[in-house]
Amino acid sequence: MTAPTAQRPRSRFVAILRYTLQSCLPPKRWAAILLPCVGAILFGLLSRAVGSSADRAFANVAAEGIFGLAVPIAALVIGDSVLGAEVRAGTFHFTWLSPAPTWQIVLGRWLGGSVVALVTIAPTCALAALVAGSPSSAGPAFVAAAAGSISYVALFIAIGCITRRTAVWSLAVVFLVERLLGAALTGIAQLSPTWESRAAFVGMLDDAPSRLVREGIPQGASAIGRLAIVTLVALVVAHWRMRRMQLSGASD
Amino acid sequence: MDAPMHWPAPMPGTAATPDRSTDPAFVADATVEVAQVSVWFGAKVALSELSCSFGPGVTGLLGPNGAGKTTLMRAMVGLVDVNQGAVRVDGRDPRRDRSVHERMALVPEDEAVPGGLTARRFVQYVADLHRVTDRSAVDRVLHEVGLVDAADRRVDGFSKGMRQRTKVAAALVTDPTVLVLDEPLNGADPVQRQHLIALFKQLGARGCTVVVSSHVLNEVERMAERVIVLMHGRLAAAGGQRAIRDALDDRPRHVLVRADQPRRLAAALVGLDSVAGITFDAGRNALVVQTLQARDVATALPRLAREASIRLFEVRALDDSLESLFRELVR
Repeated sequence: MTAPTAQRPRSRFVAILRYTLQSCLPPKRWAAILLPCVGAILFGLLSRAVGSSADRAFANVAAEGIFGLAVPIAALVIGDSVLGAEVRAGTFHFTWLSPAPTWQIVLGRWLGGSVVALVTIAPTCALAALVAGSPSSAGPAFVAAAAGSISYVALFIAIGCITRRTAVWSLAVVFLVERLLGAALTGIAQLSPTWESRAAFVGMLDDAPSRLVREGIPQGASAIGRLAIVTLVALVVAHWRMRRMQLSGASD
Repeated sequence: MDAPMHWPAPMPGTAATPDRSTDPAFVADATVEVAQVSVWFGAKVALSELSCSFGPGVTGLLGPNGAGKTTLMRAMVGLVDVNQGAVRVDGRDPRRDRSVHERMALVPEDEAVPGGLTARRFVQYVADLHRVTDRSAVDRVLHEVGLVDAADRRVDGFSKGMRQRTKVAAALVTDPTVLVLDEPLNGADPVQRQHLIALFKQLGARGCTVVVSSHVLNEVERMAERVIVLMHGRLAAAGGQRAIRDALDDRPRHVLVRADQPRRLAAALVGLDSVAGITFDAGRNALVVQTLQARDVATALPRLAREASIRLFEVRALDDSLESLFRELVR
């Protein structure tokens, strides 16, 4: 028998973060994340076909295609993977049934998801700008996509703490609340990662088409500040709900 | 020594406050207390006014499928909220006080295991969450469940039995004082069953509160000195497992006998003291023998058949399934 080797305990937060990156994203999920990323690049190519300056063409296509479609979908897959899918599979018990504080679990999952978003969605959006022949848009595209996707991951984690049907409710939020209601109501658009990330992108462009500037929504850095607030609120909701989660098994 | 039987549970509205010192549903040194707990999911009542307690040693939780065993276990660890009543672990509410989980572990029945991790990494993850300082603990528990050779293989490629053992290892690495095991022997081969049963008994003997559910009576008999029987979300019986077995033996049993000359055989069986009654099942062309001592009938039957030159085709207990035994318990 070997004597027990007592050492300083490892950090729970680091363990949760590492677990999120190692276990929550199997190859199929990576494929599902990369698909909208490829779509973003295709949107970049598509902008070449639009008959105006490369910068303006990319701005128009990115506002609708990349920030309205590719970023939310890729972020949805990530957000669902880091919590909702685990809850549905019945493997979240192993994390929840631990003395780890729920804020550490929420932050660890969110940070893990954000890291994935930062290495997939954000660079792809920058790459799409380069493919479109608009290198000056690459920086704004990267920053706006990073801020938007990070905010989305927090939002989808919060939804995962509220309902087991994370994917369905997340899609409903993106397409019904953000796209449909957000297009008509500025109040909703102000809280929408889609509209705010788009406003962040447009606000950082040197020569943004005026039709993309929406009244009543902060632009550029202010939009990123708004996204940070949305993220914070989503994380607080997730923390509050996670303490009250009812975890039935996978078969239930 | 076996505790006296509690049988059956009083009906709602007629329940008197149980005298915990004599009621076998309760133990003196309880670590987990369940008080008048009801849980329902929509219109389905999973647990109904259930009261019992669990203390050091192995307690078997027995009941047919849908009896409420899993719900009770999930309520005990705080995975589900109770609609009425209260669950306390060392005096604390497992839903509200997360420090309860420091020394409490659940091995769920689900086959699901985290994907992409090896058994070692998974157990290490659980150890890290519990801030286990003993770096050799992971290897030790993997050895205890017999998974050392497979420790660096991915858990999602494991068989059902290996997954169960991995989850047992993840539970053991936290050095729990309360261990809740939901059908832990599912999928395990006979050698591993033997090994795990010995392990659980050892933990119980060391003072750990081990609650283990099963719908297989023999399994529970082998590892639990105390048994709680659930039926339709209610307490059907509680006490020492021998007391429950004896109580079951006192109930009339039905044995189906098919022979080439059933009427002659019936005439011969009527003379036995152990036979309480005989009916002829025309549909199956067989006799149904009602008895309080099934074993005596089983011993006498071949002798009687031989003496009367009767050929026996089939002898089968009609109510030996656990479900039928439970029906007897709550009748």
